[in-house]
Amino acid sequence: MYLVANINIDICAATSCKLCTQFCPEANTINYNTELGKDEGYKYGSAYVAVDRCKGCAQCVWVCDNMAKHHAITMVMIDQLPKAAMTDYITYGEKSTTAQLVNPTAGSE
Amino acid sequence: MSLDYVKFSPGFEGFMPKEYRDMVEHGPFGKKTSVSQMGSFKEILEEHPMCAGCAMTLFIRLAIIAFPNPEDTITVGTAGCGRLAISQAAIPFVYGNYGDQNGVASGLSRGLRLRFGDQPKDVVVMVGDGGMADIGFSGTLHSWFRKEKFTTIMLDNEVYGNTGGQESGMTNQGAVLKMAPLGKKFEKMDMLSMAKLAGCAYVATVVPNNPRRVENVIRKAVLIAREVGPTYIQAYTSCNIEYAIPTDKVLEDCKTVEDDRYKFSEHITEDARDYLADRYGYKEFMPKPAMAAISKA
Repeated sequence: MYLVANINIDICAATSCKLCTQFCPEANTINYNTELGKDEGYKYGSAYVAVDRCKGCAQCVWVCDNMAKHHAITMVMIDQLPKAAMTDYITYGEKSTTAQLVNPTAGSE
Repeated sequence: MSLDYVKFSPGFEGFMPKEYRDMVEHGPFGKKTSVSQMGSFKEILEEHPMCAGCAMTLFIRLAIIAFPNPEDTITVGTAGCGRLAISQAAIPFVYGNYGDQNGVASGLSRGLRLRFGDQPKDVVVMVGDGGMADIGFSGTLHSWFRKEKFTTIMLDNEVYGNTGGQESGMTNQGAVLKMAPLGKKFEKMDMLSMAKLAGCAYVATVVPNNPRRVENVIRKAVLIAREVGPTYIQAYTSCNIEYAIPTDKVLEDCKTVEDDRYKFSEHITEDARDYLADRYGYKEFMPKPAMAAISKA
């Protein structure tokens, strides 16, 4: 098993700084969904990780902890995530993306 | 070399992989995209085999997003780590023999100007420090002296990272590496001064821990290279393997190096300033109103 980044949506949606999406070395790995957290009253959405593309470098953790100071990202063993976003289940919209969460180790629901 | 090449062949829509369909429908071609929109559109760069946490990859990702017209851009590279990522992008990539990249780009740039006339087609060379400052040194300098109009970007990781850690001309004096156990005996080459001396219209240093600055610098360099002259960007893109930087400390190292020897610097000629202000409305280069006119108003 290996580590992947996991974003706490409650903390991320409260700030929506988007720094992690700009500092990830992998393309389309940390994506942004403007709808996440809206049911809890947050306005601007949250970032989330496409775990099949994450190489586990933890740069986003450093950025979130030290540059943004939000502490919203942690590294988690992939089999500890019951549901996560994966590239095949991400839909692109005009200004946002949406992800259907699936079991990352099985690669499907 | 136009928006036509990023669309489906008739009848094949249903058979194309998801990444390809996303690129056609939600890619940045023909739109204005910026680093602040990252994570909400399909990027030109795809999955690639570069090491986890590589700062060079981060720089390449930002650079490709910054291209003003990605559908009219060709990248040129050569042996080294960088080409592993640059070649995994949905824009044409030309692989020059080791050291030939600026010669290849010269021919390509001239050919595109003959074929397409005034319609801008951008050629961007992205090569490591070994390919440019050591093995491709003469080709690079000659292309600048000939005033070839294309952008040259050095991905400076200060080592031959792809072949086990030999010292390069851009390695710092005294640096001890796996294949340079006695430490480098000579100073780091001053490519910036050489670029200015050779007549580059725009020369800048940049570190990838400031995405907006990377975007701004690359965009200026590509636009200036369309009509004014050669442009050169030197980017610090650390090798976390050869310099044993923990992956989660890569950006901290970028900051340290930026403060130490890679401070942001920008050299731009008068012609290039006027061109950016007149043609593309860059406010920072527009003539400032005289003080007398301000006080009268």
